[in-house]
Amino acid sequence: MKIKSFAMITSIIAVILNLFALYMVFFYAPIEIQMGAAQKIFYYHVPSAISSYIMLFVSFLFSIIFLVTKNELADLWAYAGAEVGLVFILCVLISGPIWGRSAWGKWWVWEPRLTTFLILFLMYFSYILLRTFSSEEMKSKRISAILSIIAFLDVPIVNRAIALWGSVVHPKKVALEKEMWQTFIVSFLAVLFLAFSFLLWRVYIGIYKERKNE
Amino acid sequence: MRYLSIIFLVLKKELKDEFRRKEGIVASFFFALISLVLFHFSFDSGVGDISQSGAGLLWLIILFAGTLFIGASFKKEEENGTFYALLLAPVDRGAIYLAKFLSNLILLTLLEVFLLFISYFFLNIPIFNSPLSICFVFLLVSIGFSSLGTLISALLINERGSAVLYPLLLYPLLIPLFMGGATLTNEAINSKDIRSDPWLHLIILFDILFLTISTLLFESAVEE
Repeated sequence: MKIKSFAMITSIIAVILNLFALYMVFFYAPIEIQMGAAQKIFYYHVPSAISSYIMLFVSFLFSIIFLVTKNELADLWAYAGAEVGLVFILCVLISGPIWGRSAWGKWWVWEPRLTTFLILFLMYFSYILLRTFSSEEMKSKRISAILSIIAFLDVPIVNRAIALWGSVVHPKKVALEKEMWQTFIVSFLAVLFLAFSFLLWRVYIGIYKERKNE
Repeated sequence: MRYLSIIFLVLKKELKDEFRRKEGIVASFFFALISLVLFHFSFDSGVGDISQSGAGLLWLIILFAGTLFIGASFKKEEENGTFYALLLAPVDRGAIYLAKFLSNLILLTLLEVFLLFISYFFLNIPIFNSPLSICFVFLLVSIGFSSLGTLISALLINERGSAVLYPLLLYPLLIPLFMGGATLTNEAINSKDIRSDPWLHLIILFDILFLTISTLLFESAVEE
């Protein structure tokens, strides 16, 4: 099984990178003066956000491939992408308010990027709902592919709309120390590998399930 | 030419059907009226002037009332078993989609005209401050709403629990559209010039993007 060994390798890399990243976050990167230790959430918050976008793009891409080729494997990838994307959106939505609590004194601020992720969560949660409730298997694959395409195309519009709505504080440009940058890059790679290992495992489980059904 | 005449034929059938049954249109008009009354009472009378911030309310009512018939636009085909007949017709399916879209757009426009008048009458929302801008904004938002609403309705044909799923799938996608609609309507009510407003560009982009995408994707949405 090719995909299983790929999944295994990515998982191992992800675990090693994450251990390394955690060490760097807590012992290597300096403590930020203004926000203190809470700033360290940044090292996992931002990579989660970027990884979730990448996963949603994977879902979008494979949804198109599925609609064109009707290849069931493409559907598995598309579904896995959306599911893993949703997990990382949740990570952003959980880590954001924790950071916000110490930065702004409130759990939730209707801050543009955080709000964007809330709406993304609503969109992709409804996608998962559709998949779960849908009765006919082939049809549910088709319609969820269409939904994934529309939802992904809506992302930049949501982004722009929320930016227009009113901009509360989100650091526009982050001035980071050299050590902070290094830590950020390592933690970014760690989260990215983690996301891809989730994705591969999810596809593997999907293939396994389908085989079992046959 | 043939494409246009197909659109026109299906549109005619849709509107005829709708005005004969009157189900969707009466229900949504009445729902709009009830919501308006409820919204009026949900605000404490001392809180402030509802007429100045009423645009958001209007859009909420349109969203909910519009769902009543847009969500059902393929449901009735399913109930009568006419859906497959429609699909069997040797015509471009994009044309069928566009006809359904136009029919929903026309019904939505009627609903909005009604709602604007009753909101002027009951809540004193100053819609006559800049009627042209208001019409323009309402039309643009309705195009976006109708295009995605019709497509999602088509996706859920023969689907279990489609009545529950429909708003869950559609509303998150429409959030930017309604944010824009509410903002622009408020500005128009307060007689501001909306022509160079970035929201207007965003809504136009939304309309063009999703009308095109929906027409293209409709074929895959209904294939069996």
